[in-house]
Amino acid sequence: MSKKQSNATKQANAQRAAERAAAIRKEQEAKERRRRVLVVSAAVIGVLALIVAIAVAVQSSRDTTGEASTPPAGAVDSYALPYGQAAAPVTVEIYEDFMCPFCGQFETASQDMLTEYVDQGDVLVEYQMISFLDRASNGTDYSTRAMNAVGVVLDTSGPEVAKEFHDLLFVNQPAEGTDGLSDEQLVDLAIRAGAERSAITQGIEDRSFEQWVKNASDRASKDDINSTPTVLVDGEKVEATTIDELVTETDEAIQAALEE
Amino acid sequence: MSATGVRPAAGRKIVPWVGVLARLVVGGVWLVAGLLKIPDPAENVRAVRAYQLLPESIVPTVGYALPIVEVLVGLLLILGLLTRISAVLSALLLVAFIVGIAAAWARGLEIECGCFGGGGGPAENASAKYPWEIARDFGLLLLSGWLVWRPRTPWALDNRVLPTVNP
Repeated sequence: MSKKQSNATKQANAQRAAERAAAIRKEQEAKERRRRVLVVSAAVIGVLALIVAIAVAVQSSRDTTGEASTPPAGAVDSYALPYGQAAAPVTVEIYEDFMCPFCGQFETASQDMLTEYVDQGDVLVEYQMISFLDRASNGTDYSTRAMNAVGVVLDTSGPEVAKEFHDLLFVNQPAEGTDGLSDEQLVDLAIRAGAERSAITQGIEDRSFEQWVKNASDRASKDDINSTPTVLVDGEKVEATTIDELVTETDEAIQAALEE
Repeated sequence: MSATGVRPAAGRKIVPWVGVLARLVVGGVWLVAGLLKIPDPAENVRAVRAYQLLPESIVPTVGYALPIVEVLVGLLLILGLLTRISAVLSALLLVAFIVGIAAAWARGLEIECGCFGGGGGPAENASAKYPWEIARDFGLLLLSGWLVWRPRTPWALDNRVLPTVNP
């Protein structure tokens, strides 16, 4: 009886010892697993942080925005194509992208009205061109190429020819999402507007005002211009929900400014 | 912690695959969104600026970093590597985007979302798109939340490199 009991006690003791050992082993294993999770996570996160840091540096160096650029001779407000007399009492700024269909519609709808004001000497129009829509031309950067071409024409042939070229670009506006006009077509239109082939071909092909174009878009973005067309009359944004409304509201804003 | 163990047999079979689906959907969206943005850093900066929420001093860095962070979160989720941490990051980004879009909407800004590239460009009827953009991000947020809750899924690198903490 006592022998049996002693055996049972022995067995119980041995079992308890085994359980304790197993518990310790289990705890050590759990500790080891937690350590491994930490090490693996930290290693992966470290590598990823390094990748992000390198990528930010690379993207930053690819983005030349803000580097010095020389505006074309004849540009006003650094980035704008002027139409009208500098002394005109009212200034109308039009932010537009040559790939933007609504800008094309606005050009057509507002042309007669603006031309009249300009001819009377009442209004100076500043075409604030930008290149927000580069991704809408299958990688040919049409917005940039078109605006660069206007810069080249403005620089070499003066504001009148450049304004004519600007109008032709909207009359012959390519559909959004297509390649846009080729460099050759840009040259041909510029010649039709009155530019000399020899004076403009290289500048258009080499995008000699590309940095100017970039900086123009950057400034517009910093001035909270987030959609095109945007019209400012004497610095005051014209609010409208449709293109027709934008034309009428612009007309009214000009008249109000003239009456002041 | 782990999806296995106490669940009834049917649940045990389906639940892990919900996680795989969540990983692929959310990860796929991040990967595509990031890759589409990488080609044009200047555009990303403008897209971030258009929301008018961040100070100009950090706008460029955020614009440069966001696309690559999106690509990495996408890859981690698709591979199933550090699933819980990636899902937390994914959820935080989505909350930030939802706040950004809602704020633009509330303030009457007519901007392009810039979610898949673009941005800073013209946005006709932008406010008509905001609810859909928010709904999409909210759906992705729910899937990310699922992965934070149940990060262990089949077909994941985690199963090879990370031992389960409570097996």
